[in-house]
Parts: sequence; structure tokens; C-alpha cells
Amino acid sequence: MVPFRVIWRNLFGHPVRSLLTAASLVVAMFLLCVLRSLVVTLDAGVTEARTDRLVVQSAASLFVTLPENYRGKVAAVEGVKHVCSWTWFGAYYQRRENFFAQFSTDQDTLLAMYPEMEIVAGDYERFRLNRNSCIVGEALVKSYGFKLGDKVPLIGTFIQRLDGQPWEFEVAAVYRSKAGTLDSGTLFFHHEFLKKAREEKLCTGEEGVNTYVVKVADGNDPITVASRIDSLFENGPQKVQTTTEAEFNAQFVSMIGNIPFFLSAIGSGVLFAIVMAVVNTMLMASREQTRAVGILKALGFTSTTVFLVFLLQAITLSLLGGGTGVALALATSDALRDALGTTFPNYVVSHDTVVVGLIVTVVVGLIAGLVPALKLAKLNPVNALRAEQ
Amino acid sequence: MITLRQVVKSYSRGGETLVVLDHLDLTVADGQFCALMGPSGSGKSTLLNLVGGLDHADSGVVEVGGEDLTSMSNDELAGWRASSVGFVFQGFNLIPVLTAIENVTLPLLLAPLSGKQRREHAEYALELVGLKDRMHHRPGQLSGGQEQRVAIARALVTDPQLILADEPTGDLDRNSADQVLGLMQRLNSEMKKTIVMVTHDPAAAAHAGTLVHLDKGKLVRIEQQTPVSAGAR
Repeated sequence: MVPFRVIWRNLFGHPVRSLLTAASLVVAMFLLCVLRSLVVTLDAGVTEARTDRLVVQSAASLFVTLPENYRGKVAAVEGVKHVCSWTWFGAYYQRRENFFAQFSTDQDTLLAMYPEMEIVAGDYERFRLNRNSCIVGEALVKSYGFKLGDKVPLIGTFIQRLDGQPWEFEVAAVYRSKAGTLDSGTLFFHHEFLKKAREEKLCTGEEGVNTYVVKVADGNDPITVASRIDSLFENGPQKVQTTTEAEFNAQFVSMIGNIPFFLSAIGSGVLFAIVMAVVNTMLMASREQTRAVGILKALGFTSTTVFLVFLLQAITLSLLGGGTGVALALATSDALRDALGTTFPNYVVSHDTVVVGLIVTVVVGLIAGLVPALKLAKLNPVNALRAEQ
Repeated sequence: MITLRQVVKSYSRGGETLVVLDHLDLTVADGQFCALMGPSGSGKSTLLNLVGGLDHADSGVVEVGGEDLTSMSNDELAGWRASSVGFVFQGFNLIPVLTAIENVTLPLLLAPLSGKQRREHAEYALELVGLKDRMHHRPGQLSGGQEQRVAIARALVTDPQLILADEPTGDLDRNSADQVLGLMQRLNSEMKKTIVMVTHDPAAAAHAGTLVHLDKGKLVRIEQQTPVSAGAR
């Protein structure tokens, strides 16, 4: 039988040292969970991408617009259920630092295209029927305090009104994103509104749309449908490139450079430092507890039990600190998402991150405790009893 | 009960082999209170460690209670120690982070007892050594004599037939030493425990019925004597 009381009491034999080690583990595991959550959030567009959605863009570049009449042609391709255009608007709210994503889109297909979009306030139908309206994500409501009925003034950058006035969109609904494929920090408005302004020469910017998102009808192979779309425009006037949603989103992850790698590298550094700190604590503890090990052996406890006593002591210490850090990351998930604003509107500490955090915590304890535990277990009881206490 | 035949034990130090027990033969009968005496380096503590199954002999046979310790593995020896022997050390060797009753309960974790039974046994052992009222004190809150009495309670809590004591009064004042020796005499006379005690101190050895003198790893002589009563000096 493992003497659990010995494990527990040994942990607090030097309370200041144990608490300092646990505190460093709290900070390290909190940081690790936050960093991992940031990486997961960045990668969510790829990892959570749906296989039944395709994205059609110009074969030349994402920044070359596609003709308006491609919408109907793509919709007519066999295997296509819905088509929804996305066009980057690139304006800011009041001040340049208040920048968030805005897209003109097709109000009739947007909701059907994105089942992960949940309307949490207002009425999507009202948005659909009112050309001057918009829907905004929850993150924008939290960051800027937008309310239903508010008129949001947006100052254009490369699509500017020629009269020098800001664009205005009335908030008709608020959405929540239930997946990483849809950003909850975005404002959507009618593409028809933008198209009309361009036709009437009220603004700058080229005609057309940036991308058409395609929903593949049930029972159709997305790759076959993508080939059909690409073939349709093989001879122009504008060649297209159709990719899966995952491939499309991966472009953006690569555009922001090696941030996921950078964050992971920081996390690894933090982890390495904390492993060293816990190893140091356990080595000191093993020296101090050598005589106690001799006593346990003299009383009849086996080497295996002594090994477990010390290893469990290391894992318990690691879990006390690391577990608290993981719990803290989980508890502050919503507050951090609000603090990060529209930079990481979908930030969340997932259950996977919690599980990974706890596994890492246990592994840190195992690494820290393994060598001293083996050393103590192998000790001859006579030599152990001679050790300084 | 204890039989040693041609036991050899040596240690290597700085490349040299030091023979600590040199073909030693010894028998200690059941129920004896035996004091092992001799100068430093005579092999007293080594002999005690072999009889207690804490160490292996290089050669020869160590039999205790009919069990051949020399043929046992480390785990088998651990199991045998848990049930058959109680130790009392010079430095008390209590675990400092545990209270008196927790220290006394430790050996019982290896016995098939419920938590309640363990507590009852431990309280009874502490009562026997007169320390039930100090059972929630940690070793640091007890005097040397009290610590040693807790160690005796721990040694007898599993009711072993054999109790091995290595300089049990070495760190104690005369009064405390007398109390500890008196306890050991009671264990021997009333509970019929076999006691082997290593000591340098003739006053402590006077409480034993048998004196075994060792020198340079060899048995010099065995004397029988009438033990003095604790507190008689």
C-alpha cells in the first residue's frame, strides 16, 4: 500500500519552496494553454473547414476581382447547391485603429451557406430585406457596443464614397459563430448595395467580387464539382481557381507568416524552463528525503512503493500547480476573448487544450520525478538510513 | 531463533576491501535480551543489519525464526521485515513530517487491517510507551526520549517477535535512557520479545541478560548476567 499521507506531507515539508514551484507551474501552464489556444484559433479556419464548401477565386490572384455574372454561371454548374459572394470592403469605424473585417455578401444565401452562423439578436429576415442594413458578429458588439438599429458609420479606404461621406449600415441582426471557419468579428452587408453604388459611380473601386463560396449539393464529390467550375471558365474571360475551404483558408494562415510556429516555440521554451525548475525542486526533495526512504524500507516498504511515493509526489506537485494554471486559462477564456477584441474574436480554451494541458502537467511531473525516484528506489536501506536528514 | 553460520560481510572503500564480519557464528535463543558490545568497527551494527534483513551477507547463512534471509530477494526481505522485525535506531528515525501516531501507523499500512483497526493498534502501542497524550505531536515537538519511545511504539505495533535496537540510548540523557531501557526490558520480560541491542554503553548493556562481545568482526565471548532493573542506578 502506498502511504499517501507521506506523499502529501512531504509536499509541504518545505511549504515556501513547494508553493513557489507550484506558482511557477501555474504561470507556465496558464501561458501554455493561452498560447495553444491562440494557435488553435489561428488554425481553426483550416482544421474546422467543411468539405462541402468550395471557394472560387481568380486564377491570377485573390486581389483580382471576378465578374458579377459568374455568380449565375457557377450556380448553374452540376452539383452546386448555393453560391455566395464575398467582397472585401476594408473600411474602418471612426478611427483607423478601429479596424475590423467587413464584407459585402449575398444576403439570400449567406445563412444557408454557413450553418455555423447563429442569429442571437435581431432578425436575419430584416437584414435580408433591407439593402442598407448589416449583420455584425458578437465580438464587434462587445468591442464597439453596437446595438440593433444603430447606424454604423464606416470610412472607406480603397472603396471610398466620392462625396467624402462615410458609408452607413443599420445593424439588423447580431450573429454568433459556432465554428472557427466563421469569424465573429465581421460585419456583412448587401453586395447589391455596393454594386449599385459602383454602377452609379458613387464610389471608387473595381466592379466584381473577390470570391464566390460554393455549397456542394449532397451526394456530389467536391473535387469533381471544383473541376467542373474551373473547366467552365478555362477559356476566359477570367480564369478561376476553385479550392476547398481548407486550402483557401490555409492561404491566410501562411500569409501571417510563422506566427503559429513562433507561438509554439515560445510555449516550448516556457515548458522547458518549467521542467528544469520542477526537476531542481524534486532533486532537492530527493536529497532531503533519503533518510525517510531508508525508514520506509526498514519498515518493509518495497523499492516499487518507494519509487511510487516519490514519483506521485512529483506528479501531485505538478498537478497542483499545472492544474491550477489550466483551470485559470479555462476560467479566463471569455475575459481574454473580450480583451483580445477583433484580433482573435474566436479565441477559446477548448476541451482539447485542457486535456493537453493536463497531460503536459502529468508528463512534467513524470520527467521531474522519474530519475530521483529511480535513484531512491535503488538505494540500499542501510545507506539511506545513514543520510543526513 | 537467530542463527548465524560462517557469516562474512565486507565493504569496499577507496579500492580496499574491509572485512567487517569474518566467518562469524552466533546463536541467540528466543526470548533473550542480548546486548552486542565491542569497539567501533567491530561489526556490531553490520551484524544487526544482516539479522534485520537490511543488508545481504557476502557468504554464510543468516537464519531468523527459521527463515533463511540469505536466500531472499530484496522484495522478499522487505515483506519479511514488515511482519517479523521491529527496528529502534540511535537517531530515532521518525519521519519528521508525520505526527507520532502517523509514524506508528506506517508499518500497519502493510498489514491487512482497516483504517479503524490501524488507528486502534497505533493508539494502543503509544499507550504502552506512555505517549498517547502526545500522539498528535510531530517529532520536532517531542523530547529525544519521547521520540525514542515513539520509535519503540512503531517497532512493536505490528507485534513482531524480534526487536533490533542500534544504540537506542546513544542520543539520550540518563533519565530518558533509563525510561527507554525499562521499556525494552518490559517488552522482553512481559511480552517475551527477543531483543538484540547494539550498545557501547556498559550501563545500557547491564539491562540485558546476555552480552555478546565482538572485535574485528569476530566473536570474542558471550556472557550471561543478571540484568539490572531500569532506574536502579
